[in-house]
Amino acid sequence: MDIKEVDGWTAQALSELAGAADGAALEALRVKYIGRNGMLPALMQGLKDVPAADKPAMGQALNRFKTGVTAAVAERKAALEAAAKAAKAGAFDLSLPGRWPRRGRLHPIQQLIDKTSAIFRRMGFTVADGPDVETEYYNFDALNTPADHVSRDVQDTFYLPGGLLLRTQTSAVQARYMESRKPPVRIVCPGRCYRRDTTDATHSANFHQIEGLYVDEKVSLADLKGDIDHFARELMGPGVKSRFRTHFFPFTEPSVEVDFSCHMCGGKGCRVCKQSGWIEIMGAGMVDPNVFKLAGYDPEMVTGYAFGMGIERLAMILFGIDDIRRLYENDVRYLAQF
Amino acid sequence: MKIPLSWLKDYVDFEDTVEGLADKLTFSGVEVEGIERLGGGVAGVVVGEVLAIEKHPNADKLTLCKVNFGGASEMTVVCGAPNVAVGGKYPFAPLGTALPCGITIEKRKVRGVFSEGMLCAEDELGISDNHDGLMVLDAKWAPGTALSEVMGPPETVIEVEITPNRPDCLSLLGIAREVAALYGTKVKAPDTALAESDPAAEQATSVAVEDLNDCPRYTARILRDVKVGPSPDWMKRRLEAAGVRAINNIVDITNYVMLECGQPLHAFDQKLLAEGRIVVRHPKPGEKILTLDGVERALEPQMLVIADAAKPMAVAGVMGGEHSGINETTTDVLLESASFRPAAIRSTSKKLGMLSESAYRFMRGVDAELAEFGSRRAAKLMCELAGAKLLKGVVDVRSAPKQPWTVVCRPARLEALLGVKAVPEEIAKVFESLELKVLRRSPDAIEVQVPTFREDLTREADLIEEYARIYGLKKLPPVRSMATLVPDADDKPAQAQGRLREVLAGLGLQQIMNYSFLAEKLLDLFDKDHAPNRAKLANPLTADHTTMRDALLPQMVETIGLNYSRQVSEVAFFETGRVFRLGPDGKPTEEDHVAAGLSGPVGRMGLDKFRPVDELEMFLWIKGLWEQAAAALNLRGASLRPADRPWSEPGRGMEIVVDGAVVGWLGLLSAGIAKEWRIHEPVGLLEAAAKLLVKDVEAMQALVPPPSFPSIRRDAALIVATGVRHERVLEVARAAAPAELEKVELFDIYQGKNLGEGRKSMAYAFTYRSKAGTLTDEAANGFQEKVNAALKAQLPAEIREG
Repeated sequence: MDIKEVDGWTAQALSELAGAADGAALEALRVKYIGRNGMLPALMQGLKDVPAADKPAMGQALNRFKTGVTAAVAERKAALEAAAKAAKAGAFDLSLPGRWPRRGRLHPIQQLIDKTSAIFRRMGFTVADGPDVETEYYNFDALNTPADHVSRDVQDTFYLPGGLLLRTQTSAVQARYMESRKPPVRIVCPGRCYRRDTTDATHSANFHQIEGLYVDEKVSLADLKGDIDHFARELMGPGVKSRFRTHFFPFTEPSVEVDFSCHMCGGKGCRVCKQSGWIEIMGAGMVDPNVFKLAGYDPEMVTGYAFGMGIERLAMILFGIDDIRRLYENDVRYLAQF
Repeated sequence: MKIPLSWLKDYVDFEDTVEGLADKLTFSGVEVEGIERLGGGVAGVVVGEVLAIEKHPNADKLTLCKVNFGGASEMTVVCGAPNVAVGGKYPFAPLGTALPCGITIEKRKVRGVFSEGMLCAEDELGISDNHDGLMVLDAKWAPGTALSEVMGPPETVIEVEITPNRPDCLSLLGIAREVAALYGTKVKAPDTALAESDPAAEQATSVAVEDLNDCPRYTARILRDVKVGPSPDWMKRRLEAAGVRAINNIVDITNYVMLECGQPLHAFDQKLLAEGRIVVRHPKPGEKILTLDGVERALEPQMLVIADAAKPMAVAGVMGGEHSGINETTTDVLLESASFRPAAIRSTSKKLGMLSESAYRFMRGVDAELAEFGSRRAAKLMCELAGAKLLKGVVDVRSAPKQPWTVVCRPARLEALLGVKAVPEEIAKVFESLELKVLRRSPDAIEVQVPTFREDLTREADLIEEYARIYGLKKLPPVRSMATLVPDADDKPAQAQGRLREVLAGLGLQQIMNYSFLAEKLLDLFDKDHAPNRAKLANPLTADHTTMRDALLPQMVETIGLNYSRQVSEVAFFETGRVFRLGPDGKPTEEDHVAAGLSGPVGRMGLDKFRPVDELEMFLWIKGLWEQAAAALNLRGASLRPADRPWSEPGRGMEIVVDGAVVGWLGLLSAGIAKEWRIHEPVGLLEAAAKLLVKDVEAMQALVPPPSFPSIRRDAALIVATGVRHERVLEVARAAAPAELEKVELFDIYQGKNLGEGRKSMAYAFTYRSKAGTLTDEAANGFQEKVNAALKAQLPAEIREG
């Protein structure tokens, strides 16, 4: 045994270790070279036969063998583990579709009813409810619209057995609510309404409104303006303003139509607002003294404002819906986008 | 209503742009819907006649037109318009003309051929944005006539919408009054001074009104020596600009005066009236009339007609009759200026399906005091424009004239209602600008007399609105919004319904919305038994919408079917909505319902979706959905029990019971109904009344601390007959087990040949726990042995313990 031979073994071991294909082959090589019954103990056994003068050099050669092979085993082991980890990571398909139970959504009309109701609730309004099937009294008479009034001609109404009708406006809730309680009243009433309109891209015989009513001592048209301005900002964005135009409704006097400045163009004029910078959103006004009288309130003691707006119209404006019929078609591929 | 501005300016002066005017009118209540500019022409453009057309030698789509434009020679013009025709007359721009579109016409080659001028489309002349073809001119115009002559003088027309409370604005004078108030000027009323001659009208005719309620006033004037012919051009132009077709001078004058002052008028050829007299009456049974539009119409007894001595000659206030109208030979005219009850005209107009300009005005209300003015004005014009001789006086049959009334406005009240500061002087000034007469003015009250044409002003609130709209709504002071809380107001029921929707959406369901009415046959398909209790519309508009829904499921399935037909077979829907049924008194009642519908592999995820869904799996999903929803809503006292419905597949339905009352059902859709939409997979459905489902949303249960000691699980696989139900296993196990049995969970069902025919294996996990201390294995084994013994004996079952 000479130094050259030992160094030869060392080189061979390192070369074989570098080529070890997997953990088992590596372990076999480790056992072969540095295991308890492997080459290293055998070589160490041979050291005692080496002449004393050569012993230090031979000792160093054997040490080179031991540390070299030990390090190579560790290195190779690490390399194989790293490769195995990489292979395992690579086999993991991150691109497969995720799994979780289905999600659901609210209908866009519901979303807007909820959104507008929430804004008004924050302003101290309570959500009130009334029947879809109404009497002539609550839908018309109590709202200062007697039988021969022109505005009964404007709204075509669906009738039901027993002289009842499908309410044409959520305003029908006003009188019912006021009859049953004393002022102050601060309510919003979202709900379904019906008009005998032929259904087309912008009309639906079945639609939704949200109605508001505030009655107290000293409620003024200016208060209505302040509250509507606040609602406009909450609904459509911080820069949105409202403006009033004189109009006519039998149940309010004065009556106004309310436009909001266009949320898309900021009032400069665009396709959404038909270049006008304004979008018509609601009807409103000061509660007509006759409505108070019919509800048993003294118009000398209280004043109030009322407003109402169409939810479908809001949906068309805010979501950019081109045809109202899509809202009732219930194609899930459309609804799931809201 | 269309308002030609040059006409309006006859009655009122104002200094503003048309846009400024439109803005003021719109904000004060007369909504301007559009501004249209007419006439005017373009300098240099004349009428050109196309004499001949040849193909362009170098271009397929172009032609060479020989154009006579009144000049010394004809011009050759290259033209690309599709509608050019030989003999046609079109606007022609000769060389050197500058067009509004920015083009100046020069002689230049177009594809190798010189074009000497241009035939124009409307957009090139700035008349409209139409570029479909050349603007076609009437054949009567001679080549070379200036386009400005063809088009008439420039005119701006604003189109306004008048709200139902302002019939007084349905005329130029009415709008002029508004403009005067808005700009602080005065209305210039047209001249109605008359030159009359003998004999008196009373001697030439008579008027009898049989129903002064429906016809509060009828006036007749008689004109002789009338020469019927075309109206002067200025009148024709004004009528046409206002959207009324010119017919002849007499008819045109009645229309002109109606547009001017709002009083509808009718002119009869008096010689065609039997005995030359008027009877205003209700029709006799079976009477008919041939109206001016050439249609014979059956009359009903409550309608009102203008008759002569023999038969109806006009439908009062709605339309004239064919047999008494003005014609070329008419010389004697009976001019009607009357007033009718609005509701009567509305009902007649509706029944006959005729909405004339007259009817439109009468049904909104025409002031009876206007009849005299309208009659005088028309008579004057007939004398001036038709050479008529007016007999003296007027036959005027009427009920008691309406007196002007007074209304008081308190400035303090005005301030309270509008939230603006106002001084009495300013308020009074606004009222006066609207022709209200201020009778009394103090710091506390302003009393005004209202003219009869403002029937809408009867109360203080009406006057306050007048102030607000003239003062200007844009000037309302900014008020900071203040949330006002009403202490006892409660909207918990509405909030609870919202919670129900959130829970269902949270469980993965998409909300849908269907109409509240539908075709009855769809309801029949699901449940014929309740047909007698359905509420039907008395006046449906379409055959698809005749009946109020008494259940949500029919439209739910229809919706699933629609999506299915669009290749979307995996859907999970819910709808909340009202259903309607006739109550014992025959009147409709309503109830809030909730429905859910499932189809496709909705309960699975990812790759598992691609196995078909069997009935049991779908049933367990709809049942599981119910269980999850009930748990999320904190619902107590709810249970399910087997019950089929007309719409459910036999043996696959259950009813939902809450506090002992059946509130709904769930189950699988019957295959027979599913077939209607070509659905051949199981569909899971649920419908229930919503109110009781949310009764415990707000309730809080007593809290139970989590257990202190560990539990022990024992498994057992039971081999039983296939008919043994899960609920029976639970029943037997619970009855046999001690209180320590915490829960029993089914974790596998297996059916296979190795078990033998008619047998299945159900594997259960039993969990035991003691409240007193940690259980020993021996104790748990003891419990399980008892349970197993009972299961063996009572199901019966073979048991393989795990």
